[in-house]
Amino acid sequence: MSATPAAVARVERARLARPNGWWGMAIFVATEATLFGTIIGTYYYLRFNNLHWPPPGVPEPKLTLPLVLTGLLVSTSVPMQLAVNAASRGKLPRARAALLLAVVVQAGYLGMQVHLFVHDVHEFPPSGSAYSSIYFTMLGAHHLHVFLGMLLILWILLRTATGLTSYRMNGLRATAFYWHFINVLALCVVGSQLSPLA
Amino acid sequence: MAAVPLTLPVGAWAGDNQNALHPASKQEHSISVLWWVMLVGCSIGFGVIVILLFLGWVRRNRDYLPFGGRDRAGTAIVIGLGVFVPIVILSLLFVWSDLYVIKTTEAPAANSTPMSVKVIGHDWWWEIRYPGTRAVTANEIHIPVRTRVDMLGTSADVIHSFWVPALNRKADLIPGRVNRLLLDANRPGEYRGQCAEFCGQQHAHMAMYVFADPPNVFRRWLANEARPARKPATPQAREGERLFLNLPCSGCHMIRGTSADGTIGPDLTHLATRTTLAALTLPNKPPDLTHWIEDPQRYKPGSKMPGFSLTSSQRDALVAYLDGLK
Amino acid sequence: MATTVTEPGLKRVERLERIWVEPRGVLGWLTTTDHKRIGLLYFFTTLAFFGAGGIEALLIRTQLAEPNAKVLSPETYDQLMTMHGVTMIFLFVIPMSLGAFGNYLIPLMIGARDMAFPRMNALSYWLFLASGLFMYASVFLHAAPNAGWFDYVPLALKQYDPGRNIDFYALGLIFNGISSTAAAINFIVTIFKLRAPGMSMNRMPLFCFAMLAVSLSLIFALPSLTIDLVYLELQRNLGFHFFDVAHGGDPLLWQHLFWLFGHPEVYIIILPAFGIATSIIPTFSKRKMIAFPLVALAELLVAFIGFGVWAHHMFATGLPTITLVFFAAASMMVVIPSTIQVFAWTVTVALGRPEFRAPLMFIGGFIVFFVLGGLTGIMFAAIPFDQAATDTYFVVAHFHFIIFGAAVFPILGGMYYWFPKVTGRLYHEGLAKLSFWLTFVGTALTFFPMHIIGLLGMPRRVYTYPSSLGWGAYNLSETIGAFILTAGLLLIFWNLVYSRFRGAPAGPDPFFGGTLEWATTSPPPPYNFPVIPTVRSAYPNWDAEDRRADVARLERGELVLDGGHETPASTVVDAVPDEVLEMPGESPWPLAVAVCTSLLFIMLLTRHYAVAGVFAGFALLAVAAWHSKEPQET
Repeated sequence: MSATPAAVARVERARLARPNGWWGMAIFVATEATLFGTIIGTYYYLRFNNLHWPPPGVPEPKLTLPLVLTGLLVSTSVPMQLAVNAASRGKLPRARAALLLAVVVQAGYLGMQVHLFVHDVHEFPPSGSAYSSIYFTMLGAHHLHVFLGMLLILWILLRTATGLTSYRMNGLRATAFYWHFINVLALCVVGSQLSPLA
Repeated sequence: MAAVPLTLPVGAWAGDNQNALHPASKQEHSISVLWWVMLVGCSIGFGVIVILLFLGWVRRNRDYLPFGGRDRAGTAIVIGLGVFVPIVILSLLFVWSDLYVIKTTEAPAANSTPMSVKVIGHDWWWEIRYPGTRAVTANEIHIPVRTRVDMLGTSADVIHSFWVPALNRKADLIPGRVNRLLLDANRPGEYRGQCAEFCGQQHAHMAMYVFADPPNVFRRWLANEARPARKPATPQAREGERLFLNLPCSGCHMIRGTSADGTIGPDLTHLATRTTLAALTLPNKPPDLTHWIEDPQRYKPGSKMPGFSLTSSQRDALVAYLDGLK
Repeated sequence: MATTVTEPGLKRVERLERIWVEPRGVLGWLTTTDHKRIGLLYFFTTLAFFGAGGIEALLIRTQLAEPNAKVLSPETYDQLMTMHGVTMIFLFVIPMSLGAFGNYLIPLMIGARDMAFPRMNALSYWLFLASGLFMYASVFLHAAPNAGWFDYVPLALKQYDPGRNIDFYALGLIFNGISSTAAAINFIVTIFKLRAPGMSMNRMPLFCFAMLAVSLSLIFALPSLTIDLVYLELQRNLGFHFFDVAHGGDPLLWQHLFWLFGHPEVYIIILPAFGIATSIIPTFSKRKMIAFPLVALAELLVAFIGFGVWAHHMFATGLPTITLVFFAAASMMVVIPSTIQVFAWTVTVALGRPEFRAPLMFIGGFIVFFVLGGLTGIMFAAIPFDQAATDTYFVVAHFHFIIFGAAVFPILGGMYYWFPKVTGRLYHEGLAKLSFWLTFVGTALTFFPMHIIGLLGMPRRVYTYPSSLGWGAYNLSETIGAFILTAGLLLIFWNLVYSRFRGAPAGPDPFFGGTLEWATTSPPPPYNFPVIPTVRSAYPNWDAEDRRADVARLERGELVLDGGHETPASTVVDAVPDEVLEMPGESPWPLAVAVCTSLLFIMLLTRHYAVAGVFAGFALLAVAAWHSKEPQET
């Protein structure tokens, strides 16, 4: 019954296959990837159905800020992976510090993105055209995923305050996996968002 | 390969022909040949499986195949009949139907036909226009026989599907798009068609006729349709015209040559030349027309046409006027 | 096998009983995480929805029995027609085959003690129940979805359908999709990770292959439906533009996304039937399936190729010819895995010494109807014929032979087949055979004439038809067939109810089945197996020596896992034992999450978006509470 970080590390080393939690998250990510694939597919489907993209009167997307923000978000994959590696070797405080760093950066990202989102809604509301409809749907869906990913990290931080167990280790591993996925999505989404500039 | 077997049940009711296997065009003929060939092929395939199952039951106490052999022969059958034979048959069908037959039923090349007709689906009727003329009608399409006619279809509201089974395949009528289809009847006649895409409450009452007329008959018909409406000839009909223009009728219907210019319902300029009312819901006879004007919701619930409470003399006047729109 | 167990073995069994017992009564059912009880909940719920969908079908058939009938108003007809489709697909066939059969049988067949995520399993059920009730609430408000189960735009847009009808449809199916996604993840992980030691992939029952294929299909098919429905709701209620031409949208976008889900959906419906057939055929033919690896491969292939054929539902929409030809070719390709399976089934029967008891008779009926529906399916890959026959009763005939004849017949046969396992009693064989012939004749009479009236020009989804077209006699015979079919179905359910109380005791293995569910008692204990079985072939219950070894291991206390609420996990491909998992027990939180989610959807329906946000927060809090109770570490 010894749920110490060292015991968790022992379990981790003895494992032959990935745990159920990892597989569950992997399959969830597969369905989420399909979801975003469909949204991004819709973006291009509508784009090729319209002569003017974005339509007249709607400003072209800005280039620099979305790219910088996305770069910032993608960089949080590094502390997420560090947290997993540290925890699986029994180094809980280091893992928690990495998680905290990641979630602070992500919060900054999300704050800026929500600000931009609201600004854009006022400039060209989603009810204006198919372009703005899919634009806000695509970005909104991704922001929502970032938000849920942050909740997962905060939850892990809260749970690991009382120590590490294999159950929590599995949760951490799955959360990190989810974040890598969100970051890949961020690249696909920003690529599509900026595609009219190309 | 003619469509003999299924003409038997059809022969029993004269007039309405909505039978896909009773073709009146080269296009539909090729589709029905395709069907009969596939039917023969599928019947053989079905027979093989049913016989195998049946033998399994008859010979249920013998654990080897009817024609000898055990597991290896069984696996050979699964691979042979389950993989190789279907690949060969499907490839043949694919080449024949999807590369060859499809050419007959394809939309004609743009501007390759002597004439075209424009069909616009509405909830729940068909607007018909003849490009290059002023003719506008509804629910009854006239085409010259043995002439290639390009049908250009679109929709004013939801998706409908244009389908005249004796003449050709379907073409969906989709808002914002124009889908084309060849109409080329090889004998004169009256061919019934019906909307094939669910379009709401009265999807069931959205039918049409295609009349394939001898060319001179068609030309006379078209020339008449292109003219403005006839002036009412009798006092009663004149009273009817006055009523039509003052009642809400004229807000929805157009009668060319009068001030009625509505576009919500069918153009009534030559209503009396049509054989039916409300997309084939009722025959176009004065008593039926009277019933229809009084209570359209009884015959076609959900239709946009409201009922009017009229005195019997007003009603008769209106019907007399409409019946004179030859 | 319990007969030879001695004192130490019995002690261990008693300990297992104590560890795995769940609360009694209603509370026990509300908080259960036992896959068998959840399977039964699914079973009875889907049966109720089947009844509702059946009544809808009978009303439709009564209206169509003669020309110009006035049994139903057009509006009521449209609502019934839509609900019939939605119910049978989303609330009956899929939850019955995956939720009820899959849940009950997969852990038993792979020698596990529960699903990989027992609480998520409960959540799937409660979400499914709630989504079904959500959609059926619309029927009582006389605002049921009325644009057909395919719900084409623009007809489904606010402009043409201003009521709540379509919102019930869109939100209800998003809701239902969450449940199906959770279930699919659970099945995949269970099948990957919880197989008994030695059950490598190539020894896994074909039923599990089918369920794996179905779950994978759901994972990749549902998102496009969900997104399509989200677009629809955004356009209907928040003024977005996806489907209207005036603002740069396209009505065909709906159809592409819908059928990108909808065609894989057909295979999702039919694959569990294949799985059931491959369970029943070997048992009653008393031999292994012929070409086993080929059949397993075919089951996975059919699901895979099913993703490449969606546009054959759109051959009349005016897509470019080259697109049509591509999709027609793919549609022909998808035939091959099916022909492999059809011949494998029939040859297995021919090679065995088949005993034609009721379950095998239903499989016989299934093969006949599947071949019939499959052959007409091939016809639809011939583009010109498709363009003529699509949207007519010919299609209705085709897919009812597939969805009813081929997908439901194995479900009915499966009900008989596994009835002794679930209840411990035998069904009445004579009544069962009679019920087979009634349903068989009823099905043929209901659906076969539809081919003919389709060719005679009768379009689908019409609430009435004129007498001048000669469709009356065919329609009348279909209606008579529908009532015969109903009689057959009622006889099946009567047989099961009667046998539940009066049937002869069945014993653990009345049919000498080859898979592991027959290795335990009937009904199985909450922990499924007193000792985790080890596996050396695809039909482990026919390996008598291995099963005797199980008893010996129980004596020695090996692989009994009576230290806690435990089940072993193994490696994905070779099923090498990896670790012993402590499984969570009963929990009230899945139900709480489902309640919060229902309130969330009700608020979305009534457009109280802020309140909906609050309930989303509650749902997240309930998820947190659920995860704060961790299984104990050993």
